[in-house]
Order: sequence, then C-alpha cells, then structure tokens
Amino acid sequence: MTPTLLGRWQTRILLFLTVGLLLTLPFGLGWIGPGGTAFFAILFYLLGLGLGWDVLYIYLQKFRWDQDWPAAYQWLAALWEGLVIVLLFEAMAISLPGVDAEAFQLGWFLLHYMVVWVGIFLASQSLMRLLFLHWRFRGGQWL
Amino acid sequence: MATSSAPIRLSWQDPSTGEQRLPHLSPPIALGREFTHMPVDWQGQRVSRIVLNSGQVSRFHALLTWENDQLRLQDQNSSNGTQVNGGRQTDCLLNHGDVLEIGPYRITLLLRDDTDLGANRVRGDSVILIADPIPEVAPVTSAFPPPFFQSRQVNIQALYATQYPVEEVDYGALGAGLGSFVWVDLLRLCGVSPQQVRVIGLEAQPYARYQRLCLNSQIPAHERLRSNSDSCPDNIWGWPGYALREAWHDFTQGQLRSVGYRLWQVFAEPTFAETYTPKSGRVFASIDREATRIGWPQMYRFGRIRAIRQTDDGRYAIAYALGRGQYAFLVARYIHLATGYPAIQFLPDLQDYRERTQDFQVVVNAYEAHDHVYQALERQGGTVLIRGRGIVASRILQRLYEARQRNPNIAVLHLMRSPKPKGNQFQYARRAVSNHFELQPFNWPKACWGGTLRSQLEQAGPEERMRLLADWGGTTTADRGDWQRIVQAGLDEGWYQVGFGTVTRVEPDAQGCPLTFIQEMGLKGEIKLEANFIIDATGLDGKVKTNPLLDELVTHYNLPLNLAGRLAVTNDFELVEMRNHKGRMYAAGAITFGGPYAAVDSFLGLQYAALCAVNSLAQGRAPQLRSLHGWHSLAQWCKWARNQTP
Repeated sequence: MTPTLLGRWQTRILLFLTVGLLLTLPFGLGWIGPGGTAFFAILFYLLGLGLGWDVLYIYLQKFRWDQDWPAAYQWLAALWEGLVIVLLFEAMAISLPGVDAEAFQLGWFLLHYMVVWVGIFLASQSLMRLLFLHWRFRGGQWL
Repeated sequence: MATSSAPIRLSWQDPSTGEQRLPHLSPPIALGREFTHMPVDWQGQRVSRIVLNSGQVSRFHALLTWENDQLRLQDQNSSNGTQVNGGRQTDCLLNHGDVLEIGPYRITLLLRDDTDLGANRVRGDSVILIADPIPEVAPVTSAFPPPFFQSRQVNIQALYATQYPVEEVDYGALGAGLGSFVWVDLLRLCGVSPQQVRVIGLEAQPYARYQRLCLNSQIPAHERLRSNSDSCPDNIWGWPGYALREAWHDFTQGQLRSVGYRLWQVFAEPTFAETYTPKSGRVFASIDREATRIGWPQMYRFGRIRAIRQTDDGRYAIAYALGRGQYAFLVARYIHLATGYPAIQFLPDLQDYRERTQDFQVVVNAYEAHDHVYQALERQGGTVLIRGRGIVASRILQRLYEARQRNPNIAVLHLMRSPKPKGNQFQYARRAVSNHFELQPFNWPKACWGGTLRSQLEQAGPEERMRLLADWGGTTTADRGDWQRIVQAGLDEGWYQVGFGTVTRVEPDAQGCPLTFIQEMGLKGEIKLEANFIIDATGLDGKVKTNPLLDELVTHYNLPLNLAGRLAVTNDFELVEMRNHKGRMYAAGAITFGGPYAAVDSFLGLQYAALCAVNSLAQGRAPQLRSLHGWHSLAQWCKWARNQTP
C-alpha cells in the first residue's frame, strides 16, 4: 500500500484504537507488567504524535520518485516514534497528564510498544486488505 | 542546403503514450506547454506552435527560426532550460541530427530531407494488428449484423425475428481477457450468479493473449513478470501476495534460504532489496484455479463481436459471430468493455522495410513470434540490432545473452535515439538511470496505483492529466541485478554496444540483411549499421481507432475520445454517453488510458477499474449485487482460501 496523508491518518487512528487498544489491555490491567493507566496514556500520546509524524512522512515521500513507503521504512519510522517517547519520558523526564516521568519504566514501555507496533504492522499488512477492499487503492483510506 | 523557408522535420517519442511523432514544419517553430502563450506571428511569419505537455516545460519554452540559412534556437527564459546534445543552451545554431531536450521530451532535428523514416505514412498504419488466435475463415458478410443494426437503438423482438440464438442476462463482459476476468470475478464475489453473466471472446483462458505476448517477448513460465507481489488477478484483496505464496511453497519444499529472501524482498523493496516479481507460470496457474472456482467456463461464450448497440428497452445488444456462418446475440443491461491492446506499435522505418522487401524474418517486433531469430543466431552467430530501451529490450537482451552461452559469435547493437544521462524529474524527485536505461520497478511510479499520484491524476482535468502522464511516463526498465550484470559484462567484453542516433532509413544489402542508416547526434556524418536481424522493442498500441469494433462503436454513437485517443470514461470508468435508461456501460484496460488512472493496463489497474465499476453498479442497485465490505469481504476471502464457490 502506497499511503496518502488522509490514508495514513485514517489507518493510524483505526489501528491504534482497535488493535492498539486491545493489545494495551493486558498491560493496563496488570496481566503483564506493573499495570496502570499510563500504558493507555502513552498509547494516546503515540497516536497524537503519530498524526503529526504522518505529515512529515508524506513530505518525505515526495522526494522518492515512486512516492511510496516501503515496509522497511514503516519499521524505521516505528523506531523513531518509540525513541521520541523514550526521550520525552526517560531522558528528559517530562511528566505529562497521565504519565508520570518518575514512574516511567523503560523495560515495560519497550515491551508494550513492541507488542503494539508488531500487532499494528501485521494487521496493516493483512487484515486491513481483507476487511476494506478499497483501502489499498485509496492510499490507506478505509472510510 | 536548406533555404530560409525550408520545412524541417522534428522527431520524438511521446513520453505519455510512447507514440512516434514526426511532424514536418516550417520555422519559425515555437515549443511550449500552452498553445495560447506562444506567439502567432514572428517577424511577419506565421509560427508553427507545438505543445509539449509537461510540468517541466515552460508555457513558451523555445523558438526555432531560420537565420542566414542556419537554424537558430532561442530559449525563452524557460524555468528548466533547453539542452542541446546534452549541454544547456540559451541561444545557439543547430545542425542536422541535433537533439533538443525539453523536460521529458527528446526531439531530434532533421534539417535535410534525405530521411525516409516511413514518415509519409500516417502514424495510424505504423502498427501491426495483434493476430487473432483463430483466423476468421468465412468472409465478413454484410448480412450480419442485420440491417436494423444501422439504427441507434435496436428492438428486442427484431433480434428474435432473425432466428439467431438470443441470450438475455444482466451482465455482459466483452473481451474475455484479463480485464473481463477481473470484473466478472468481482461480480461473482459480490453475489452475482453465473447464470446472469456472459463473457464473449475468442479464447477460453482469460490470460491466453497475455501469455502469448509474454512468450513472444521471451517470458516463459519460469521467468518473472514486471508485476507486484500483491497484484493478483485471482485475488482482489491482494493477500496473500505471490511472494508469500512462493515463500510458502518453497517452505514446503524445504528451501529455507529462498523463503527468507522472498520475505526480505517484499519487506525491503525497492530501496534495500530488488523488487519482488512473480513467475508468469505461477500467475497463470492461480488464474486457472480462480476461473474454475467462479465458474468461468459456464459464463464464457466463444465469439467474435461484430457490433454493440443500445436496445429500445434500456439494455444493450451484442451481435457476435461463432464461426462457420453461425451468429448469435447477447442482450445485457450492464456491459463491461475490455478488449485490450488492438495492435503492436511498429517503428515506421521498419514497417516500411517489411512492406518493401516482404521479408518478415529479419526485421521483427519483440511482441511477434520471433523464436527463429534466436535459433538462427545460436546456429550460425550474427549481429542483432535492438531498437527501444524498455523492459522488453531488457528481456530480449537477456535472451540474447543466453543464446551467447551456446554460440559466442553473437553481437548486439543497441540503438537509442539519444543518451540518457539523467531521468525524468517530477517535483522533488528524479528517476534513476543506469547505462542509458531509466529505472523504475513498474511501468508507472508506484504511487500511481493507489497513492498520492493516483488521487492527483483522478482530480486533474484532461489537459493536466496528459501533462502528468508525460512527466511520470516514458520508457523504463526494472532495476534487476541480472540485467545490470549482463549489460556490464556485454560492455566490458565488447559484444554489447550502445549507439545513439536517428535512423534515416533501413535498406536491404546484397545479402538481404538489413542496413540501418543513422544520423549521429551532433555530427554531420551518416553511419551505416549492418545486422543480421533487427528487433523492434518499442511497445503496444492502444488507440481506439486501431480496433475496428471500438471504432465502429465510437462512430455510431459519436462517443468522445480523450486526449490520448482512448475512450473517455468517468472516474467510475463508465462511458456515460452510452447510458440507456437503467443500462450502463463500463470500460477497462488500455482502451481507457489518458483518463482517471495511469496504470490501466496492469493487473492491479484492471482490479481498480473493476472495483470502481462494480461500486457504481452497487450504488445503482444492480440486481444480485452486494457491496463487498467488512465481514462480507472477509467471508468471501475465507471461501477463496478454501477454494469454495463464492
């Protein structure tokens, strides 16, 4: 799938609020790790920041002749997006509503982020196509 | 020597359609993007205005005039400049054979009219019609279709009165090739029963013609197509793609290295790995499976379509011949036209050579059956001249490389019009170039299928569409490691040479071999190239006028053509001028090029057109049709996976 900006936003919102939320549940409820609402809050920060990153990615796409976004770039973008969260809460120790930087546990964040990200990536590579026929022809727009 | 009023000839290949242009013009000649921005008169002389439709071309880009018996170029302060033989020029004198580069256009100037070029022929006849698999034996009689087909609308009772068989269904697919297959497949997934669908064409297998063109252009079952992993004509979801299926197959065979490589390819392509492409044999096998699943054989009718007419009850009547003097009619409310490329494009000078010499063996087109060339070369060696630098040329070169393994006395001359130091530019990006080949994984930039470029083209007006197509188009080949290695080895070992210039004429020598006369770029001399064979690898022609059936339809209903000379369709791929009460007619494939979508002739492009058309039918509440969304789509996919009838 070669994304457009609207497609990126729609796909990101849908997958974070379904697959992302579902995979955050075990972390938030304490089945895995210490639990707490911070996992949900981080998910929403990832989503919010991500909507901004999408604008940057679409701009970068214009520098590629094919104006595409290889799967490998999705992973590089994921590394970057995760790194920003780590910088924010761990390195710069900034507390934001819902996330107390003092209580931020890097190890559990990394595990949570990895699980959510891999889940979203796999769903975007398979389930989205099966549920929404037009999705891949409209740059990721499912609505 | 030319005098101050002598006409000159400009020669270029249109970057959007690939057509050869050879206008004969008298300077002053203005070149630019917009007709109205170029001067009508220059120093009291009428100006010939040539529109070069590209975003890289300024509105009034350059002017060519005679000055003291010399042709002078003046760049009109254009944003992207004018290159002459590779160097930027603002004001200079030009010579016979010079090449002007303006945006994606590469224009050769022919000042002396010693050029033959087959230039007197209108471009339209510089094609060869793709031969039918079953030649029509009986002469085309004027008795069929019957005289009442001359009217605008035909009466159903009149059809029955002819005593010929009449079938009435909801959906009719005309062509029976891959375009028809993809549309019918989607109809079946959306709930339409096979009883309500009829497909008319000349070959029972939907990929038969495509496969023949592949085989002719040297892509047998084990070679790979230029197509994406998730462009699957047998699977509208594109999942699992051919890469995943091939990886699974290799896994069951225990070839784990290959599994890893295929997965890495689809993950990292095209930046960190060579783009995955499926083997043609696998694609055809997957279509066979899907054709059986959806009941294609029950829906298919052999026939040569003679005419398409509206009926007076809001439907369409198709008159077709079954051969041996048998005829029939099909009546349907919804029609899908996908007749494919009618013809193979042929370089005019080569077409001329064949007509003059009646020798169809030494000068061939890559899309014709021409295995005898490789057999002869493998037997006795020789020299081959290749014309054209697209993907077909790459594959032909690979085939010649294989022939050289059997007989090293084979040399290849690759003739190109001009060097290609850099690729097309669009906005911030430039297409990559290697050894004068422009590189691109597929025949259009990838975002044309579903990304930013798709929506940009869809929203553009007719003129802007042609401009975008010129900027994104042009002849390209895939960046395949084996091809790069072959070209490099050939250059190093000397058996492969690249030459630049414009062919002035091709003539037989005393031995009956074709001699190509070339005007070299920037030099005043003419050189001769001797070859045992010439292979034209320039492409296919999709003009509506080349197809007698479509030409008749367009004339009869006075249908508009788009600026590329193809059927004008809406963004839903509908031919609105053919609307007939509830009746609707749609089109797909090469015959719709120049419209809302660039990659119309690709697997994924056919699926896109089918989706648009079926969506529009569902909105119009066509019978039995249910939109394929959400769980319904997932349920249909499960049936596909289990190979159950939809």
